[in-house]
Amino acid sequence: MQSANVLLKKIMRSSVLPFAAQHGMKKDLLPLARTLSVSLCLKQDNSCSPSEKLDLDAWKKVMKSGLQEEDSKMVPEREELSAMAAAREILEMWRLAGRLVPENISEEQLKTFMECPSKSAKKKYLKYLHLKELYKKNDKRKMDEKRERKMETQEQASKTDETKRNSFICLWASGMDKAYSWRVAQSMVFGQPLVFDMSYEKDMSVREVANTVRQIVLSEGCNRRSVDPFHIHFCNFKDDSLYHEEFLKHYKEAWGKLLITVTDRCYTDVFPKDKLIYLTADSPKVMKTFDHDKIYIVGSMVDKSIKTGVSLARAKRLGLETAALPLEKYLLWNTGAKNLTLDQMMHILLTLKDTGDWKKALEFVPKRKYCGFVSKPVHELKKTLNLIDMLKLGKRHEEVRKQFAKNYSKKLRQK
Amino acid sequence: VQPPEKPLQAEEWNRLRESFLSPGIFEEVMFKRMVKCNSPIDVAKSLLTHVAKSNGDIPYNFLVKYLALCVQQGQASEIRDVYDIMKTRFKILESGAYNLLVRGLSNSDQWRMALTLLEEIKKIMIPSRSNYESCIKAASRHQEMNLAFELYHEMLAKDLVPTLDVLQAFFDFSRGMKGADLQKELFGILLYLRENQIYPHKTFMRSIKLWFESIPGGNWRGHLTNIKDSGQCPVCSHQLEDSNLTEEEYNNLRERIIRDVIHGTDTYRKTSPQEFEAFQTFVENRFPFDIVIDGLNVSHLKPRKTQCENLFDAVNCLAKENARLLVLGRKHMLMNSSNWKRDIMKEMQNKADFFFAENISEDDAFLLYATLQSGKHCKFVTRDFLRDHKACLSDRLTRHLFRKWQRGHQISVKTKKFFLSVFIQQPALRYDCVVQTTGDTWHIPYKDAFEEKYSYQVPRKWLCIQQK
Repeated sequence: MQSANVLLKKIMRSSVLPFAAQHGMKKDLLPLARTLSVSLCLKQDNSCSPSEKLDLDAWKKVMKSGLQEEDSKMVPEREELSAMAAAREILEMWRLAGRLVPENISEEQLKTFMECPSKSAKKKYLKYLHLKELYKKNDKRKMDEKRERKMETQEQASKTDETKRNSFICLWASGMDKAYSWRVAQSMVFGQPLVFDMSYEKDMSVREVANTVRQIVLSEGCNRRSVDPFHIHFCNFKDDSLYHEEFLKHYKEAWGKLLITVTDRCYTDVFPKDKLIYLTADSPKVMKTFDHDKIYIVGSMVDKSIKTGVSLARAKRLGLETAALPLEKYLLWNTGAKNLTLDQMMHILLTLKDTGDWKKALEFVPKRKYCGFVSKPVHELKKTLNLIDMLKLGKRHEEVRKQFAKNYSKKLRQK
Repeated sequence: VQPPEKPLQAEEWNRLRESFLSPGIFEEVMFKRMVKCNSPIDVAKSLLTHVAKSNGDIPYNFLVKYLALCVQQGQASEIRDVYDIMKTRFKILESGAYNLLVRGLSNSDQWRMALTLLEEIKKIMIPSRSNYESCIKAASRHQEMNLAFELYHEMLAKDLVPTLDVLQAFFDFSRGMKGADLQKELFGILLYLRENQIYPHKTFMRSIKLWFESIPGGNWRGHLTNIKDSGQCPVCSHQLEDSNLTEEEYNNLRERIIRDVIHGTDTYRKTSPQEFEAFQTFVENRFPFDIVIDGLNVSHLKPRKTQCENLFDAVNCLAKENARLLVLGRKHMLMNSSNWKRDIMKEMQNKADFFFAENISEDDAFLLYATLQSGKHCKFVTRDFLRDHKACLSDRLTRHLFRKWQRGHQISVKTKKFFLSVFIQQPALRYDCVVQTTGDTWHIPYKDAFEEKYSYQVPRKWLCIQQK
């Protein structure tokens, strides 16, 4: 065996193979030669040091050789770059380095990127754009696939030549639209008002405002589709505000035809003060029942960095009554902040309005935030909670119990 | 995947690649593993050769990975080669590659190259602090202290915070060197520690000590010691700076607390203008107080006692020496309940002044205001670390002032150890725990590397240096 190896090694050294490899003649090698080289490698048994015939720095030659022609072209470009072009250049390098960077970036986005105050802000913004791009691409791919499938089925249908008979003309969408609009129009005359307080623009970042508007658009949608819609008011709405800009982005020309009341006046000017109730998670008062004669106010604010007491402060300043949803009374709270999104709020309020059933309404609280519903009185609940903690945490239970007692007394104190 | 131990032929790489689950990312994963396993550089080269021959090009991220491997193994000439290739290939590089290049070259004998790279980075972005760190260390390792300090000042001017490692390097490498300028610069570093309330760790402290003792003709001697509660150094019997703020600092802090903590963006968030005004007149009519107590915080001291008994104990304990007390609470405490007995509350109100805030107001803000308004002698009692209020302060300097003031004026209560004793008063520190000097002495607090240090805890160990 050994002698065979030695022999093979000799063949390797003197053969044309390394020569061919060195000179990049890979494509010219005959298939025969390829199989030969594989079998040679296999038989080497790692006994010879491969560096003898493997030119380890060959890659450098390749990298350098390919450049000679390009180099001459690149030199004039090298001079002064504008700040924008430089930023674009850096982004490109980051993308090559495998960071989360979008492939295409618009001028406007590039400007926002350059205005980011810190490195981490830049990184975050790029990641956001990257993910956005990814989602968009995926959606597009799915749409294309869907279209293809549709085409296929249509083809098949045309082949079988099967005509459908139906007594209705297919006008579902527009018919439904009309019915909904009719209902909302009615609520504009007779419906219970619901106020969105649009005065938080300066408390939010641009992205938070965008999220807020998105959530309001969703709430408006679900209000429109409900059986008995609210009459939505946007109060303190300034015409040249960021809110307005974002709404126009979402609704486009439909913004003018929306069946809601938009005003730059404050709700205290529009409605009698004693009828207003400001809904805020920070309120010490807990809502017991939904009152059909009151006008509820929801603050149009997304606060990602949990700023406590902003909306409570506003209500305090105006001397309004406040209320919080009875989340703790009905739900075994698990994690997450108690402030809900605006569309969740809308779902909850609509359900309360229709049924008055808290359990049904609070179904709209995200499932991850609570463990389950509470049906027992509070002191029994405390016992179960202890039990859960004991099972969950074993030894630490004593500590947890104390914690709970502390929290609980705080809560009682506030009532 | 385990990277191979020896360089492979193209065919072998192909075979490995085909046996890999997702061949599309084979090379990337392989390079990553090589960096992790610290494979021999030849293996990586053979893979690069394979890639170069089959694609005619090597993607940027492979080059960076290879560079990382070279840096890891200190292959200076390879690093230069890669840099040359990258430079011809790409117009600019990104921070990851620059970091590696600077780090790799600064550790080699071509460290001056790292400095030119630093200049190059400056053209397109702000270098990171680790870039500066590598360059400074390289410069000081080669005894070019002037250059190192130049870089250090440049770094500070860019608002980069130097690591303790860099600062330590300065002391390590200037040991035994002469020069008034150098000495001044190093004293400057000590003053930087003072201004930013940074405490060196044990090994850093040792470097400082050795440097002092090595100054030719300086006659410095260093001793490790603990400072007494009185604030006197047992070695040189020097009295440390006391923890009181200067008049200006004090007024500054008070104004900032009123502006940032109590009013903030909206006075209604923590209290209301009416209530705050009422509180202000209340304090003005009765101050100065000696001790301000956070009633609700103290009332939760011992869970077995009712809340008002706890508060009663505290008030009794503190009222002994004829001190003027102010207890802050909320209105719900006045309602007769199982936790708050009316008669006990009545009795307490004879011994101390009480102010009851609205139930939804924050009483901590009032606590700070009343204490600051009463003057420097006034202390306050709470177990709260007041971190959220510190966070409201807008700039770093004021936050430092706040911490210093808090250290000197907060009486915290230890419960666990002294569960049975009524109320143990932990003395507020009388001396200020920062690096300090009188010219011929230096006192430097340091922390044991293993000791956990919270931001509210200050080290108790000191390095005393004196000139004979």
